[in-house]
Amino acid sequence: MADIKEPGFKTSDTLAALAQVFQSYSEQEKKAQIKKTNGIFELRVNNGGKEAVWTIDMKKEGTIYKGEAKPKPDVTILLSDDTFSQLAEGKIDGQKAFLTGKLKTKGNMMLATKLDGLLKTARTKAKL
Amino acid sequence: MSLQGLISGSECALPANPLSQVLKHTEGDRSLQQDRVAGPSSSRLHHLPGTSSGVLEPDAALARSFFDAHPQGVFPGPSMPRFNIPPPEVSRLPDAGASTLQRSWADMNSIQDGVEHIRTEGAWAAEFGIRTQTGMAGPSIPQQARADFEQRSYTSNGLYGANQMGMYGVNPNYGSMYNTLPGYGLGSTPLMEQQDKGKGKSRESDFDAAFAEATASLSSLNVGEEKTIELSASVVEQIPGSEVGDAGSKQVDSDFRTYWDSLGTSDVAPPPEDLAKWEAEFNQLMSSRREDSDMLDYGESMQNAWESGLGDYGEEPRSEAVTRFDDEGLPIFSDFPFDQQNKYMGASTSSQSLLDQAKALLAQNGSLSEASLMIEAAIQKGELGEGGYEAWVLLGETRNMDEREETGMQALAEGVKRAQEVGAAPAGMLSLAISYTNESYDRAAHTMLLRWLQARFPSLAVPEETLQSIKNSAWDSHTRITDLFLEVARSQHAQGIVDPDVQIGLGVMFYTRGDFDRAKDCFEAALSMRPQDYLLWNRLGSCLSNGNKPEEALGAYREALSLRPTYTRAIYNVGVACLNIGAHQEAIEHFLSALAMQDSTGAEKSEQLWFTLRRAFIAMGRSDLAEQAKARPKVDVFRQAGFDF
Repeated sequence: MADIKEPGFKTSDTLAALAQVFQSYSEQEKKAQIKKTNGIFELRVNNGGKEAVWTIDMKKEGTIYKGEAKPKPDVTILLSDDTFSQLAEGKIDGQKAFLTGKLKTKGNMMLATKLDGLLKTARTKAKL
Repeated sequence: MSLQGLISGSECALPANPLSQVLKHTEGDRSLQQDRVAGPSSSRLHHLPGTSSGVLEPDAALARSFFDAHPQGVFPGPSMPRFNIPPPEVSRLPDAGASTLQRSWADMNSIQDGVEHIRTEGAWAAEFGIRTQTGMAGPSIPQQARADFEQRSYTSNGLYGANQMGMYGVNPNYGSMYNTLPGYGLGSTPLMEQQDKGKGKSRESDFDAAFAEATASLSSLNVGEEKTIELSASVVEQIPGSEVGDAGSKQVDSDFRTYWDSLGTSDVAPPPEDLAKWEAEFNQLMSSRREDSDMLDYGESMQNAWESGLGDYGEEPRSEAVTRFDDEGLPIFSDFPFDQQNKYMGASTSSQSLLDQAKALLAQNGSLSEASLMIEAAIQKGELGEGGYEAWVLLGETRNMDEREETGMQALAEGVKRAQEVGAAPAGMLSLAISYTNESYDRAAHTMLLRWLQARFPSLAVPEETLQSIKNSAWDSHTRITDLFLEVARSQHAQGIVDPDVQIGLGVMFYTRGDFDRAKDCFEAALSMRPQDYLLWNRLGSCLSNGNKPEEALGAYREALSLRPTYTRAIYNVGVACLNIGAHQEAIEHFLSALAMQDSTGAEKSEQLWFTLRRAFIAMGRSDLAEQAKARPKVDVFRQAGFDF
């Protein structure tokens, strides 16, 4: 998990949590999640000065790692650290972030809309 | 960011750091040019003798800065000729590559000023250092020079190869070169200028000529002696000492040998018949790869088709099927998966109906799993209760309480559908909306809440845009439906009524938006009317828990559990709160006790519980236990690992 962390990025906490989630999936659940998402996301997150890159592979391996996507991503998403945490907390959805220019994409844009759903799984939520 | 936007199109956009762009572009440039002349050779380039014979990176950098700073640093020659001279072949490139190249070219020129600045500052010192050291450095210099030459110059792989061959082919010349051109070594200004021009000229005109020649015949090693001389001259010139001893020559010789060998195995400039053969091979390779990928895609799409359509009734319809939605965001379910080994399916032993037994069990705080099995059996036997929907709604609500959301939601959806058919519309709708919310089907939750409002308050005027908004997005419908709920709540407030159901609905609306503080207020208002409702206590707790107040949430959950000790969902939520606080041990114990409760009936256990349990194990650093949990053993196994529940 430690290799996902990047100091100064709230994003890395969310992603580390998400990595835990992926790790906890059984093979079956992982396959289901991969089928549901079926994409490789490269996240380029800017925290105002620095940029950090992570990759969420929900197509082949079902993993998260720091660094650029290998093989190449289906979609590259450029956003700020703040936007990312809002996205993860559900305060903003991917569509809105995109329309307001807070999130930019390269590649398969429709796939980017699946990102917030994926991020929501990072947090174990209490249920009503 | 803005710079990036300025200088690059979308497909070559890169991180904001302009320097990294410079690097990218220089790289891109080089590879393009090499590609043009010598095919996909960028990897091969690294195996060339010059670079492969262990030039240390600092050395290479020094050499690079030395040569780069040369023209504009010491001599008044044309500055950075290789950037400023547009190579004629660029404009002649027929295909799309040309435009890319030219764009990179333009980018390069626009950034060049900055680069030069940096280079000249840093490189000056280095340059002088090198110049004084060169005498001693001796044999390593040609290597550096060559490495630099290969990496930096226009001279493509092919051209360089051809020239080098020529050069070595007329080896006598080579030897004499060092001796007969001492002037270069001194680096006098006129000569340097001449050299610069020569370099430029050789690049421009010799490029194509040499390439053509090289392609045409490898055997004529004595081609283009002039060029050889020019090239050699530029190499020699860059060794100020010009004292390369035998050792140097030998090394160069062996370098030549490896280069020759690599050339033999490479495609740089094969004779025509080889070229044809190679091309055929290449095409074969490419087409076979294309076929491969086609096959892959085909297979994948077949798989997708199978799984999204036909496969839906497969082994695990609940967890495996990709959920589809209708145009109002409601998920479309397949048939309800009844428990296959339901012990209540046998002949009834009691005079009471199964449905009544289940209700009695629920009223006595009995096991939720037990009760839901009874209701399932009742449904399968045709006991559907009031209006044909009661049993379904009850089953759904019971399952949700038992933390088995997916099947619960499905049962509720069925119940709601039946209730609407018989005109008992509001029944089960709120529970279903809450169930949708838990699964993050926000749009479905909004739709259901709106339907509930319409059913509950038939006189309420619902604007057309609100009805339409559900078909758009959850963000549109959220505002409109929240407004509608607020309108109802205000008018009730004016009459001095607090309607808990309206408060619950409003609370759920806020909850879907992540506005947990306001949601909490709504559930508190509802609780003021129904203080004995353990469901509401649990919902209040969840608002607090998800609103980053897990400690306060525990209080609400405690209320819920004191009213209903077998409330699996509340136990699960306590576990989640513990997990979020970081109390992993306690969290795991709660999950295990919830699982143990479900275990007692022999019914299927909650997917969610298993999953969260595994997650807690991993958070605790016990991935061994998480692996163990994947097999879904009897929960007692974990008592041995030190968990008490």
